[in-house]
Amino acid sequence: MGFYAVQSLNALSFSMLLLLTGLGLSVVLNLMNFVNLTHGSFFLLGAYVGVYWLASGAPWWLAFPVAFVAAGLAGFLLERFPFRQFYARTHLMQVLLTYGLSVIFADLMRWGFGAQILSAEIPEALRGVVFIMDMPFPIYRLFIIGFGAALAFALWFVIDRTIWGAVVRACVTDRGFVETLGLDTRRIFTAVLVISAGLGGISGALGAGILSAYPGLDEEVLILALIVVVAGGLGTFRGTVLSALLLGFAMTFSKVWVPEFSNVVALAIMAALLVALPEGLVARKVRQV
Amino acid sequence: MTERFPLSRRNFLATAGATALSGAIGAPALAQSANRPLKIGLVTSLSGPFTALGESMRAGMQMFLAENGGKLAGRAVELIVEDDQAKPDEGVRKFRKLLGQDNVDIVSGVISSAVALAVRDVVTEAKALTFISAGSANDLARKAASPFVFRPTKTNWMLGHTAGLWAYEKLGKTGCMTIGADYAAGREYIGDFVATYQQQGGKVGKQLWAPLGTTDFGPLLTTIAAEKPEFIYSFFAGSDAVRFLRQMREYRLSGKVKLIGGGALFDQEDVVSAVKEAALGGLNTCNQSPTAPSSATFTKAYQAARNVMPGEMGTAGYVTGQVIKAAVERVEGDLSNKEKVKEALLAKEVETVFGPMPFDPRNNQAILDIYVNEIKEGTGGIPVNQVIHTYKAVRDPGPVA
Repeated sequence: MGFYAVQSLNALSFSMLLLLTGLGLSVVLNLMNFVNLTHGSFFLLGAYVGVYWLASGAPWWLAFPVAFVAAGLAGFLLERFPFRQFYARTHLMQVLLTYGLSVIFADLMRWGFGAQILSAEIPEALRGVVFIMDMPFPIYRLFIIGFGAALAFALWFVIDRTIWGAVVRACVTDRGFVETLGLDTRRIFTAVLVISAGLGGISGALGAGILSAYPGLDEEVLILALIVVVAGGLGTFRGTVLSALLLGFAMTFSKVWVPEFSNVVALAIMAALLVALPEGLVARKVRQV
Repeated sequence: MTERFPLSRRNFLATAGATALSGAIGAPALAQSANRPLKIGLVTSLSGPFTALGESMRAGMQMFLAENGGKLAGRAVELIVEDDQAKPDEGVRKFRKLLGQDNVDIVSGVISSAVALAVRDVVTEAKALTFISAGSANDLARKAASPFVFRPTKTNWMLGHTAGLWAYEKLGKTGCMTIGADYAAGREYIGDFVATYQQQGGKVGKQLWAPLGTTDFGPLLTTIAAEKPEFIYSFFAGSDAVRFLRQMREYRLSGKVKLIGGGALFDQEDVVSAVKEAALGGLNTCNQSPTAPSSATFTKAYQAARNVMPGEMGTAGYVTGQVIKAAVERVEGDLSNKEKVKEALLAKEVETVFGPMPFDPRNNQAILDIYVNEIKEGTGGIPVNQVIHTYKAVRDPGPVA
């Protein structure tokens, strides 16, 4: 009993980690129809910021907002120069641009932060464990579950239930129409990209406690994020949440029952899913520019 | 002495002749080869999953050459470093480039076992003098052994086997679990450990595997917590090792379950410096230790230069330099006759930072002292690999096995 309870918590915390990696990517992809492969770099930047902040002795909880701001700033600068010109281009062009940029960032970060593996000092308050029927479960992972759920809920609320969300969605559907209403769609897109980058950063800072930070993490994370977003269905936010949960549980329980094949199982599920539902778990008509 | 006399006489004649003739018709071949810079190619992983390891290996080699004033046996050394990205096909390309285009005298390096096995045929066909610094696949000492490929490092078997002996003797006859990275090296380490441990009479319980690059060990650690083993034998390297050890502590298993592993699991520079106190109490068998007597001066110098204690890869780069130096000096800088270089290296052991290193004439594989390290608090509270036992002159079973 305790064993399966803890394994379910393991699955939930891994799902949240997946969701956190996919969330920012999903936001720009869903709302702006922009494929941003530099997302892994935002994550890694956030992870480095988190590691250094937590080690510095400053109030630990500030590490996450600071990572959000740092990655958000990087996103802002990127939006100013190359991204803006690429919104109207095909996905292939966007992929080429952002992938190239991600390689440049990988080199820049290696130059700035070194090649060593850095692990984050988890704050004292979150270092403990809870025992569930004699089985230990780390408090930090509960924290990640809570944080991920709160972030996902907040995003859903803003996008689906507020006027701002409605405006952003309207921008994607008919940019010209929104312009005629007197709204500056450029600014709106800038804001969405900054938020997406910031989400990548904050996820990196949170994830660093489990994943550490090192050159190459950006790519690993990007692949996970892509799997989550693609399996969830391009253009839907709910789909991202659903697929993160599905993949998280599948990967965890395959590790419990057939550890040798855990990667195979996860990828097979994704493949089967895409064969059965080519649009992803939750499909929505996407405008292909 | 009787054997050495004609050698040195021949050398004497050649040098004398060269000096006499050089003014008139230019330097003859022999003298030319002695004056030409000695080109050493080093292929290591400067991008990809082993980036940090590759940087250390290069630093170790460069440090060694700097200490020798950039010269070996009187010849200036030119070091050409290439990146294999830890990919076999990329490694093959880089070795071909070094041998075909740069005309290097010696090739060395390689971290990944897969790359080491892939380049084996390239260097064998080219009859290139090769020193594999770290790729430790067992096969390279067995059916893939090659006449001019020297390996101044351990085989996976040497570490798995000694850990099996130690575990049976000191940790327990039962209650053993294993968990390892699910790829070639992990399979060899765990397999060799289990074989030796069982041969002694030990009983192995559940065996777990995790894919390379596993981000979340939570489910496996929960399984371990439920099984309640006495001790675990484990093999992970690099970021996998860091995450495994950190998460062991997160799940409160550090200290509760004794952990013994391959050297890479507790690599001083790469892993212990990242996980810090989460490594305390861990055991590993390794051909390298920053506290081994043979390593004393090197450890200090490395720490001064790089601000961390050396791990296996930094040391491997340095040791490769030491072995190359011994080879070049023993033939007085003349590498034209490779058979002679080989004989010279096999003739007697090389004193290295790893420890005394004789080469096995069957496969050119180093015979090494294997240290059992325990991670204890060192000066300044830094966890350090401390030698608690040494298995003397461990020799891979070699081609017959």
